[in-house]
Amino acid sequence: MTEKAAKWIFWVGTLSSLVLFLVLTVDTHSQFAALTNADQLDEQVIAGKRAFQHYNCNDCHTILGFGGYYAPDLTRVYTRLGSDTIRRRLDSPEIAFADSYRKMPQQNLSEEEIADIVAFFRWVSEIENHDWPPQHSEARWKRSTERLMAGAVLSPGAALINQEDCLTCHALGDRGEKIGGRLEWIGSRRNSAWIAEYLVNPEAFAPGTEMPSFEHLSGEQRLMIGEFIVSLDPAEGR
Amino acid sequence: MTYRTQNVAYPYFVVALLLFGLQVVVGLWLAINYFFTVPQDVVNVFSFATARAMHTNLAVLWMLLGFMGCTFYMVPEETESELAWPKMAIAQLVILSLTGVTALVGFLFGWTQGRPLLEIPFTLDVVVVIGVLMFLANVGMTMIRAKRWTATQGSLLAGLVFLALMYLFGMPFYKNLAVDWYYWWWVIHLWVEGAWELIAAALTAFILMKLTGVDRKIVEKWLYVELGLFLFTGIAGTGHHYYWLGAPKYWLWVGGIFSALEPLPILLMVVDTLRDVKKRTKPLEPRLTWVYLIGGVILHFIGAGLFGFAHTLPQINYYTHGSQVTVSHGHLAFYGAYVLLNLTFFYFAIPRLKGLPGNNYDARAGHWGFWLTSLGVVGMSLAFAVAGVLQSYLERMMGQSYMLSQEPIRFWMFVVFLHGLIVVAGAFITIKHLLTLRPAPQETAAGGDAG
Repeated sequence: MTEKAAKWIFWVGTLSSLVLFLVLTVDTHSQFAALTNADQLDEQVIAGKRAFQHYNCNDCHTILGFGGYYAPDLTRVYTRLGSDTIRRRLDSPEIAFADSYRKMPQQNLSEEEIADIVAFFRWVSEIENHDWPPQHSEARWKRSTERLMAGAVLSPGAALINQEDCLTCHALGDRGEKIGGRLEWIGSRRNSAWIAEYLVNPEAFAPGTEMPSFEHLSGEQRLMIGEFIVSLDPAEGR
Repeated sequence: MTYRTQNVAYPYFVVALLLFGLQVVVGLWLAINYFFTVPQDVVNVFSFATARAMHTNLAVLWMLLGFMGCTFYMVPEETESELAWPKMAIAQLVILSLTGVTALVGFLFGWTQGRPLLEIPFTLDVVVVIGVLMFLANVGMTMIRAKRWTATQGSLLAGLVFLALMYLFGMPFYKNLAVDWYYWWWVIHLWVEGAWELIAAALTAFILMKLTGVDRKIVEKWLYVELGLFLFTGIAGTGHHYYWLGAPKYWLWVGGIFSALEPLPILLMVVDTLRDVKKRTKPLEPRLTWVYLIGGVILHFIGAGLFGFAHTLPQINYYTHGSQVTVSHGHLAFYGAYVLLNLTFFYFAIPRLKGLPGNNYDARAGHWGFWLTSLGVVGMSLAFAVAGVLQSYLERMMGQSYMLSQEPIRFWMFVVFLHGLIVVAGAFITIKHLLTLRPAPQETAAGGDAG
């Protein structure tokens, strides 16, 4: 190879890649607003991002897959846990993670900061990012639950979920709210006996939770709810 | 050493080495956090996040100071002139070191921008920019005054200016998280797979010319090709970080294709180095410098090239993104590409700065340092890789909760810790060896002189 050819490789290689990159950067900017729902990026979300940075959350947690790898990814934390669970964990991590082998620092956040961070997580959870991370895919949960509902006779557990208005706080399939955890998420990590026990007195498991007690149900009914929730786990093979 | 002002490089090397020692010790503490339950009271005042900010910022700081020292050593020889402002070079070192120490202490008190790797607060960012401008002015002025342009120093200067420009994109507060990460990668990716590679290629070319005696024309011709390939694959290859952050889908194609080619320029660098060694007109003396140089290009290829390629395709990255797989790649790539390059240059420059006979030195402890550190980092990266594959499978594919999937990983993090002990031992030996370099024992020195 001659020196002239080498110089050509340098300039053509560098400039072609640079031009492509800059053109795509301009185009990406024109699409960010739609992909990230920038219209919902209000003052509270921005305040939440500032608080998120102020407490250096991102050096333990990842968000959009970037950051420390020491704690769970937060991209879809609002989708799977809901606002009340996030609030409790931020407010009293020493209680929420008392039994965990990894701790989260108590940083004495104000109620306002917590509300801001929840708003920030809510906005982040709606970012269209080609359905990453796979384990927190809302689309997958919805699909799986849809198939379950279509294929099965309405189970007594499902009837109880309706009767007790669980979806006033919890998300399930296409329905419900995101104050408590998404039921498919709970079903994938708990067994039915644990859920039945939790329903008796949520406060004992999750101090400070907004969830009421379901002591008025019979033990058998609570177990049915537990069995239904566990059956929602997409890994059950749908 | 031919020029008096090359001396300013030495204090840079000293500070860099001391910070390197601190970095690996903090790394041990991070590993402990993974397999041992640190009590809540300790976590409240010194969290994993704080320690990680220290570990990563120390890494960046010491390697940048190292590069600056290398530059101050190399530029007078390349321009065949004295440095423009040697006293300013020392002032710059003081400013940047104090900024670094302030940042580290600040982290302990929660003074942070809270963005991984770019934690240092805006105020300190401004001081860094001032320090870097002093640096660029000094280097630029030396080159302009000398009016002797070579491709090697051109590549070095381009890399340094590129590095400084990209730093600016990491400074502002971005309201939109996706946009934030988009430009975060302009700093991180375009540094390590752009600017730093230019610097690495230039420093490697410089050492090769000096040590092998191979003709400048040949070395610099291939330098052009290396740089062209680095920038061709590296710039658009930034796209492999844009898969899952809320950017359009075409980045999956662009990132996938360009980054799949990223190992090529590194492979070319390996080939070039081995060719120059083969065609050398001088003996392979001192041997340890060569062990570093060749070990460096090979681990650069494995860590950055192969480990990077392993999880760069979107089909794989969908499951491995943000897992310990990234950590595995990160450690081996940084070590192979930039730690070893810095240390190679230190081993090349310090005997010359100290005027040791025949530019040779007593290398015995240094060999231990190299092999302990290198085997430690390779073992650590393999343990991280096992942890990462487990995490990808259990959490991402099987849908286990994060904490459940972390349980089997704790054992592998203990393995990481054990290798970390070896790394710390090796690094300390290397640091002490470099800071107390002695003339070679008589018979070896004579052999070196004869060659």
